[in-house]
Amino acid sequence: MTEEEVAMEMEAVEAVYGDEAVIVDSYPPHLHLHIKPRTAEISSQQFVEAVVRIQAGPKYPDEPPQISLIESKGLDEQRQKLLMGFVQEKASELSSSLMLVALCEEAVERLTIMNHPDGDCPLCLYSLFPEDGQSNQMPFMKLMSCFHCFHCECIIRWWNWLHTEKEADSQNGNSRSVDKSLGNCPVCRKVVHASDIEHVLGLVGATQSSQHESGLLQGEEGEDPVLQSESENMRRERFEAILKTQEEKGGLVQPKKNISVVPGMYLPPPPPPASSSSNQEEASQSQEQEHKEAESETNSSTSNNRRGRGRGRGGRGHSNVNIRKQNPQDPRKPTKQWVQRS
Amino acid sequence: TLASKIINEKESVPLKKKTVKSKGGDASHTFILSFSAMTSSSAPSRKALSKIACNRLQKELTEWQLNPPTGFRHKVTDNLQKWTIDVTGAPGTLYANETYQLQVEFPVNYPMEAPQVIFVPPAPSHPHIYSNGHICLDILYDSWSPAMTVSSVCISILSMLSSSPAKERPADNDRYVKNCKNGRSPKETRWWFHDDKA
Repeated sequence: MTEEEVAMEMEAVEAVYGDEAVIVDSYPPHLHLHIKPRTAEISSQQFVEAVVRIQAGPKYPDEPPQISLIESKGLDEQRQKLLMGFVQEKASELSSSLMLVALCEEAVERLTIMNHPDGDCPLCLYSLFPEDGQSNQMPFMKLMSCFHCFHCECIIRWWNWLHTEKEADSQNGNSRSVDKSLGNCPVCRKVVHASDIEHVLGLVGATQSSQHESGLLQGEEGEDPVLQSESENMRRERFEAILKTQEEKGGLVQPKKNISVVPGMYLPPPPPPASSSSNQEEASQSQEQEHKEAESETNSSTSNNRRGRGRGRGGRGHSNVNIRKQNPQDPRKPTKQWVQRS
Repeated sequence: TLASKIINEKESVPLKKKTVKSKGGDASHTFILSFSAMTSSSAPSRKALSKIACNRLQKELTEWQLNPPTGFRHKVTDNLQKWTIDVTGAPGTLYANETYQLQVEFPVNYPMEAPQVIFVPPAPSHPHIYSNGHICLDILYDSWSPAMTVSSVCISILSMLSSSPAKERPADNDRYVKNCKNGRSPKETRWWFHDDKA
């Protein structure tokens, strides 16, 4: 490889990454790459980011460049190591061919897979991203002002509570100024605007606490083939939609199955429906579902829009509500689909 | 079945009633008592905890057992809604080697609403602790946040004890305690927090 070829490669890196790549030296190549997960430019959904240094010696590309992490946000130590490990592995794999762009791509790709917050939801204290594969995962979000993360449902419940409180206070003639569009982050008390959580209101409003509760109950997990296939269809639709947007934008990327791209939040796969074992139980269940149905009808007018927006870009899973909504003419009918006879 | 019942249960969020009728106290921390609504929902209720509250408290208890805050001991009972906790004054402070008992009661809507935290008399003699066990500490009332836990509250209380300049009661102790007869909850009091020293 000649120096010229390497120089051209560096130009390519600059062209692809623009401001995200800081060229420290053009020969031997040395650059800092600011990487963010691929979330279709939706920053509210980015829970991690990193700056990676790629530094090659004069023997590049016969000798792979050194790769290290200069800076990272939201990544615990384990994921930092993993990320570097993957990129280094890629480097030795591609040894003796020009690899800078490929390495950058690998880094972004891997970071995208690791795009989740660390630790527990400060409100319910259950993990935001259970890695044991056992626990049911719930959608979560971050507050844009302070980056604190919560389960969508938990933060919405808190938000609603807060404003019910404020209303009660003002009705009692308290002079405290009441602003319904403001709150404070439960963790750091930084001001939260209604618009910071608006994007999840629609998604959570209608499901109420169903996901939360089902997530905490083990067992009773039936597999409904109809649900399975429907959710698969939805998923495929979403991937197609995002692929299209990326093609339109001239993006280079094929979406991957594990990339999550719903505005502002991470949607887990839908929880399997609870199955019941006797007719009596079945009856009471569908009755309750009817009740819920009625509830979700009342706020569907406001939440439909938002949900619709999310549907186009969704990358992974969706909530029960979306499916139920597919048959809005007769709210009672589709509930039948949900009950598995055994 | 149980699962489907719980899934479909909608959480009710009762309103908190606060009434301000008269103002009292002129010490570093004044208070306003509400004389009506003694049955109010902000008093610790005998009603069962919500499912959310239960899950959260179980989680807190597990975490406490793994990693209890230094100086505290939770007395094991089967009552999740009411915890009794022993606190021992930190070494090198006015309360070193003294042990007091805290009683923590959780409202139905915990953690949206703060727990009621009081010392079981005899309460430590402290400028912010009344002889009936009520504690004047902002995070227990207006500054409560649902991201706080029993453990973090305990740490705040111990730090309040540790930073005490003198073992004495609040200046308005007698009047306050007299007004709080009949086991009134400190959450009924409208606290004004002026003093940030302790």
